[in-house]
Amino acid sequence: MENTEYIRGSCERFCPDAEAKMRTQKKLLNFFEYKDGQKHVPGVLVKEFTRSAADAKVPKAKDMRTEHCLTKTIEYLLKDIFLDERKPYHLVYDFIFDRLRSVRREIVIQQYNARQTIRLIEPMIMFMAYSRYRLCEEPIDKFDPKICNQHLQECLNVVLCSYDELDEEGQTTSETKPTIREAERRYFIEALYQIFNLGTPEALVRGLMLPAQVRENENFKLAFNICLNYHQGNIYRVMKGLPKLPHIICAVAGAKLQTIRRLLLEIFTHAYNNKQLTVPAAYLLHLTLLEPQLLNEQCRHYSIAQTPDRKALHFIKSDFKSDVETIRVQRETFIDEKLSRVYLPEVLLLKKLWI
Amino acid sequence: MFGTVNNYLSGVLRAAEDYDGDNLGTLLSLRDVHVQNHNLYIAQPEKLVERMLKSPLDEVVGSHLKVLYYLAQEPPNYMDAYNHQAASCSAVVKLLQQLKDENWCLPLMYRVCLDLRYLAQACEKHCRGFTPGHILEKAADCMMACFRVCAADGRASEEETKRLGMMNLVNQLFKIYFRINKLHLCKPLIRAIDNCAFKESFPLPEQITYKYFVGRRAMFDSNYRMAVDDLSYAFTNCPDRFTSNKRLILIYLVPVKMLLGYLPRKSLLERYDLLLFHDLAVALKAGNVKKFDEIVHEQELVLIRSGIYLLVEKLKFIVYRNLFKKVFAIRRTHQLDMGDFLSALQFVGVTDVSLDETHCIIANLIYEGKIKGYISHAHNKLVVSKQNPFPPLILT
Repeated sequence: MENTEYIRGSCERFCPDAEAKMRTQKKLLNFFEYKDGQKHVPGVLVKEFTRSAADAKVPKAKDMRTEHCLTKTIEYLLKDIFLDERKPYHLVYDFIFDRLRSVRREIVIQQYNARQTIRLIEPMIMFMAYSRYRLCEEPIDKFDPKICNQHLQECLNVVLCSYDELDEEGQTTSETKPTIREAERRYFIEALYQIFNLGTPEALVRGLMLPAQVRENENFKLAFNICLNYHQGNIYRVMKGLPKLPHIICAVAGAKLQTIRRLLLEIFTHAYNNKQLTVPAAYLLHLTLLEPQLLNEQCRHYSIAQTPDRKALHFIKSDFKSDVETIRVQRETFIDEKLSRVYLPEVLLLKKLWI
Repeated sequence: MFGTVNNYLSGVLRAAEDYDGDNLGTLLSLRDVHVQNHNLYIAQPEKLVERMLKSPLDEVVGSHLKVLYYLAQEPPNYMDAYNHQAASCSAVVKLLQQLKDENWCLPLMYRVCLDLRYLAQACEKHCRGFTPGHILEKAADCMMACFRVCAADGRASEEETKRLGMMNLVNQLFKIYFRINKLHLCKPLIRAIDNCAFKESFPLPEQITYKYFVGRRAMFDSNYRMAVDDLSYAFTNCPDRFTSNKRLILIYLVPVKMLLGYLPRKSLLERYDLLLFHDLAVALKAGNVKKFDEIVHEQELVLIRSGIYLLVEKLKFIVYRNLFKKVFAIRRTHQLDMGDFLSALQFVGVTDVSLDETHCIIANLIYEGKIKGYISHAHNKLVVSKQNPFPPLILT
């Protein structure tokens, strides 16, 4: 379809003048929008998210940003603001999340084509995937993982549909062929989608139907095989595969780890079910990717007895508390290490994906 | 051989006056010969049609003629044709609502809905500018409107109720939902049919199709026993002359049955050109994990296209079980060394497996009830139950 019938933004600033004026006057600026160190001087403003409402006017061209400007906005948010350490990260997240949401809204209003949409949304996926992990231990009033998951899934769906659209177009015209860079980015996002939807048949079906070049990509294969092993019930291979995943995808896997561990422990209470016998803790530490004190926590939580020296576990089927909630997602040392080895703004903007 | 528009319209009128739903359906079908009649390609047929037919039948027919007009363009304008077919479908809904305590027009509804689906498929194939599956989903919404009218017709007698049309529509909706991979939408439809007091009185062909889809859905929900029941019903009742349909049913029935421990007969597979399952069954029976993996890998595309890849992958743990059962048969003891299982895996050619993984595989088999016993980590032994250590799969 032609794009001419939709309004095209003409604003080259992160925040259109009208909104900037209004918010400055009414003192509605966010902390990150004041000039550094000065309380009342406006700095760089970024367009806020507002819902479409019946009483709101259709946005004019000058109230919307150009594609170039949207790209710059995302870069500014995911680099300058992302690295701003003056406030705790959950506030940074709130600010970036809101401003990215307004970018997403403009993508919809301006009806960008598949390729433009992909470029703009991919970094948002990375940002939410990372934040989901980074903030997983925050209390609910500071960070709501459910909302974050919803938006992440939504963005993933938009991007995946756009990939499919390009695939279809690619069959008829050759000019839409993706560049190597674009292809690499796609492999990464497809792999991320698989891990984010671990355990759902829909994702596996998608994985099976993807074009050969995606399916043959090493990183995608790694992620897909983890999901396939999970589907088969081979938890061993799932746990062995997870630490091999690259940074952000590994962080997404982090959100699934507690569920997998619980399943593993439950399987073991059936398999090693015996009052006399024990299973060495070292074996479990190695399989569950846990540190000793965290294994103790798991044992307490699911009611698995330990020997007094905590070197071994008694698995008794009837003792396992199958009705308690799964332990909350935690930050994992091996994931933190992976993340500490990369320069995050570059990764979030998908400029440098594989080390 | 083709008449004028007026001939056509009086044919429609006669069919309607005779309460002849089948004939009316044919006259509005896109697969009927009248479709080739150039006299019927009219861009604005409203005036003509209104003169002959009452509302809302005039709308049904008027939209149909517009569909013919757009399909006759070079190249065919599928998108506009679809939109007018959808309008025709909405008019059918009005017609259904108007005809209280009568169901003779059900064949008309079937036909219009069927063509709506075909046109939606054509749009998906030839047109651009929407997310894949969107038009099919919209078509499903139109059919749902028909379905609601039918399902709500509870007062009419059993012979005259429009509820008899439910299963035909449900089957059409299934076809769409399976195609666009939205299986969760099937659930309310199944419930509606299940709650139907006379579900046995739907025509047999419809029941067969219905069971085929319900069985497939149960399969995706990992509800294998139900899947076997439904698919077996479909297979047994489907007449032998429909070989390709029977083959389609078998593609799902065979692997689900394998999961429950039934292996298919070779002669049956031969008859339906499904020997791929024979190879899988041989490897499965022998517990040859490596061979099994190889076949799955070789036949990957076939399995994916048939939509059973994930199911076949689930068979892998049964291959493990069969292999381990052989170890038990050789050792003839209830305390089995875990190393023996590892050796067995290596013997059939699995090279990248460790003792830890062997432990985990057996642990999972015990958890699923496929092996009765427990593992002693300290002695590195699997202690199996004296009774039925490898219970038949149907019991697990």
